[in-house]
Amino acid sequence: MTLGEVLLVATLAVPLVTLVLALSSGSHRRTTILLVLAAIPALLTALFAESGTTVVLPQALLSLVLSLDLPGRLLLGAAALLWIATGAYAVLSRRGRENDNPFPIWWLATMTGSFGVFIVADLVGFYLFFTLVSLSAYWLVVDDGAPPAKRAGAVYVSFALLSEAFLLLAFVLLAVATRNDSFLIRDAVAAISTSPLRDPAMAFLVLGFGIKIGLVPFHVWMPLTYASASIPVAAVLSGATVKAGVIGLIRFLPFGVPLPGWGETLTALGFVSAFYGVLIGITQTNPRTILAYSSVSQMGLIAAVLGMGLATGNSITPAAAAFYAMFHILAKGGLFLAIGVAQKTRHRTEWTVLLPAAVVVLGFGGFPMTGGAIAKYAIKSPLGDGDVAMLAMVSAAASTLLMLHFLRCLRASRSHETRTTSAAEQSFIWLAIVVAVVALPWALYPAVIQASAHDALSFDALWKATWPVLIGVLLFGVLGRAPRILPMIPPGDIIVLQSWAWSGAKALGDATERIDEYLRRWSIAGSLLLVVTLALIGSFYVGR
Amino acid sequence: MAAAETSSIAGLLLVSVLILPVVGILAQLALGGRFLNWICLAVFPASFGVSAATCAVVWSHGEPLIYIVGGWQPPLGIALRADGISAAMMLVTAIIICAVAIFARVEFTQPSGAPEARAPFVFWALILALWSALNALFLGCDLFNLYVALELLTFAAVPLVCLKGGEATVKAALRYLLFALLGSMLYLMGTALLYGAYGTLDITLLAQRVHPERVTWIAAALMTVGLLTKTALFPLHLWLPPAHAGAPAAGSAVLSALVVKGSFFLIVRLWFDAMPGLGHTAGPQLLASLGAAAILFGSVMALRQQRLKLLVAYSTVAQIGYLFLMFPLAMAAEQSWTSLAWTGGWLQLFSHAFAKAAMFLAAGLIADALGHDRINDLGGAGRLRPLTFCTFGLAGLSLIGVPPSGGFVAKWLLLSASVAEGQWIWAAVIVVGGLLAGGYIFKVLGRAFTAGSDAPVIVTPVSLSREVVAFSLAVGAVLLGFFPLEPAEILQIGRPEILGSTVP
Repeated sequence: MTLGEVLLVATLAVPLVTLVLALSSGSHRRTTILLVLAAIPALLTALFAESGTTVVLPQALLSLVLSLDLPGRLLLGAAALLWIATGAYAVLSRRGRENDNPFPIWWLATMTGSFGVFIVADLVGFYLFFTLVSLSAYWLVVDDGAPPAKRAGAVYVSFALLSEAFLLLAFVLLAVATRNDSFLIRDAVAAISTSPLRDPAMAFLVLGFGIKIGLVPFHVWMPLTYASASIPVAAVLSGATVKAGVIGLIRFLPFGVPLPGWGETLTALGFVSAFYGVLIGITQTNPRTILAYSSVSQMGLIAAVLGMGLATGNSITPAAAAFYAMFHILAKGGLFLAIGVAQKTRHRTEWTVLLPAAVVVLGFGGFPMTGGAIAKYAIKSPLGDGDVAMLAMVSAAASTLLMLHFLRCLRASRSHETRTTSAAEQSFIWLAIVVAVVALPWALYPAVIQASAHDALSFDALWKATWPVLIGVLLFGVLGRAPRILPMIPPGDIIVLQSWAWSGAKALGDATERIDEYLRRWSIAGSLLLVVTLALIGSFYVGR
Repeated sequence: MAAAETSSIAGLLLVSVLILPVVGILAQLALGGRFLNWICLAVFPASFGVSAATCAVVWSHGEPLIYIVGGWQPPLGIALRADGISAAMMLVTAIIICAVAIFARVEFTQPSGAPEARAPFVFWALILALWSALNALFLGCDLFNLYVALELLTFAAVPLVCLKGGEATVKAALRYLLFALLGSMLYLMGTALLYGAYGTLDITLLAQRVHPERVTWIAAALMTVGLLTKTALFPLHLWLPPAHAGAPAAGSAVLSALVVKGSFFLIVRLWFDAMPGLGHTAGPQLLASLGAAAILFGSVMALRQQRLKLLVAYSTVAQIGYLFLMFPLAMAAEQSWTSLAWTGGWLQLFSHAFAKAAMFLAAGLIADALGHDRINDLGGAGRLRPLTFCTFGLAGLSLIGVPPSGGFVAKWLLLSASVAEGQWIWAAVIVVGGLLAGGYIFKVLGRAFTAGSDAPVIVTPVSLSREVVAFSLAVGAVLLGFFPLEPAEILQIGRPEILGSTVP
């Protein structure tokens, strides 16, 4: 085995072994630090294993195929950084509650799933890790035990199960398209583009992954979940685990050959989310909810990029989308930590949070020299030069507006107590992420896009990056003067329909119960016996 | 029938699996309750060994084991035949019965020094009778002998329901008994018709002689519906929820995991082996429609239950439905995917057997520990008995179809067959059923692992060994998930050519 292969296996094996340790050890004081250490092999893999490294595990391990490619590597590295940072944050903020099982167990399980989806190359393996990351996170959401968390957890798990149901259908179709010959994602995707099963498979893929990345109208779980989970959990959910949907779209959509129809559909869905997220987001006041709507918007943008790549057959799309997603992992995860740090920061030192946050925030609009600027520059090629590129610019302006609104609410949310617990260590973690958000995209751009980052510094590029931000700032100024014009919208917006759906489901359930009671009467059951017999005899005649 | 193999080893194995449990009952009668422990200690491992050995021999030979009792050829004599599905069923039955026996050891032991109690005596006799009857069902080749085995199974199962006494359970048991007897009558009428028309009840001979004519259809319908009542397929499920929820945990586990599968096994024998011509009619579609209704209806009912054991019982109503999806999928005219559906159907049966046994045992442990099984009052109980709720969770994941689990492999195979054969409706039902199962499993787990208004207390301590037994069964359901996603060789042994073809 080469070093790369060892690292690839260790990426999953180390968190799993740690998980077993956490399950079996009585005291969790010693295992807490392992929450941080368990993510290190993933980081090493992203750094040192070469793209193309592949390991086929034995049948006793489900014949899983692990393979590292460029998009997977980018997302794995950034996710590992975020898991390490938030792991440290969680350890610090949970001091004194180390024995509070089962938080570490679900943390490690979610982490394993989060890493797994980035490096697994076969259908069943992908489904396995996708399920692991989605369902384990349920326990992180409800860990708090408070009623809002329980409600958010119930909504979250409903959507997670729904997304898995769609994906199961999609994956079965993919396997059938290869006539059960190969379970490799690559082969299945190649087979599906010419198969008669293509359209249903694409529909189920877009639905399944669309729910995971919160495409409108499947976004309602995001605001509820991110607002009620604890800070480190919200950070990994918004940063890392959501990307299971992004890598899914990257892996399962047939890029390289133009696929019109589906490409345009995905682009349209993406832009709807991109603008819808901003529109609802600016009516919110809770910084976490604002970040959630920003995620809806940003994931929409990524979907639009992927859709355009699919429509035009642009082969750089997977790498570009993964590059943008990498930026989002660190930026969004970091901002959630910033909320946590801000709550513990005193008036006098608030600039230590707000100033770095401003740098990250401007990145969402693509302000020059920020990490976001180069990330936005990378997705220019798939978006093209036409109206779609214009839409992307407008969305950058809208994102600037939303994120400035976030900054204002973040400032309002900081602690008003004169003496608060010191958050020095947590601040350090937050600042480290800020450095990564700015430095990593610039450092990696040439390797990922195969072009020099100098182009992004040309006057033309700088101007194109600046004016959406200026418009965003302008809008923010206007809105700041007239805050009352915005309506009050509850977090989760269309979740209010839930009460209708709920009463509908309840009526259906009541009816089912009445039918059951009726069917289980003796007289009815006896006649049913006769009816079924006659129906069966009839059916024997029908088919012939 | 293939060349009859009457070697001594085959005869010894096939006869022992039937006789050994009966010997256990007789020894119990002769020696009395004082030796109960010793008898069980001898009979259970011996029967298990013989079942496992039979399965191993069938698998390694790759062809059915056949034994002609007394050397009299059928239709005059009795033949015992173990093909792939019988061998697999025998192994699963042996594993689950033995696990349940270990679980029940403490509850149903004869108190030393005290006068002999009735419950332990009856329980062990019933379990052994059940085992023998199930094996007879798996090995029988003649529809009348199978009728006898079926009756034995019913009469052993019904008293298990009311072992604890009490008005409710006796009522449930009577309900079960009466409905099962109706079923037996229908089955017997069917066999009489067939015998009158074709002069034989031997499955192999019948398969050669039956014609597509009125008497065949009527007989097939009567026998099938008779068996459906015992399998509790919707809408003939009236007896199942109270019976399975009222029995002691060990009894519920066996009833849900194995007994309903006994009559299902017979339906498969009837449709696939005795009258394969039924596959060309709309019959399979009708069976699957009832199955689909069972999945949707049973799952919604499970979601609505307030008591844990009733939830698990209604989940059985739903899970039985999946088994019937096998009929249109494995009997399809286009045969390239039928073997996949065949394997999927059986894996669904095996994984449900493990998962449901584990679940009923876990539910029993929860009810014992907390003194109640109200789902709403489970808040935080997961932290008190983590292993038991893990058992419930693992078994539940298999029911939902989350990998790695037998439930996932089964669903994958059934889904593949239905989309490949263009029978989309069954695919939709499978997926919706999984969603609803997710609903009722997470409803329980969510309650158990988040703190409630008042913390539950353990009223009766439960022993770790019983928890471990239930957990092992759930692990069994998970291990079935390591099955490769392709037609299983063992399940093809002894199949007619119709299912022998693999995917091209």
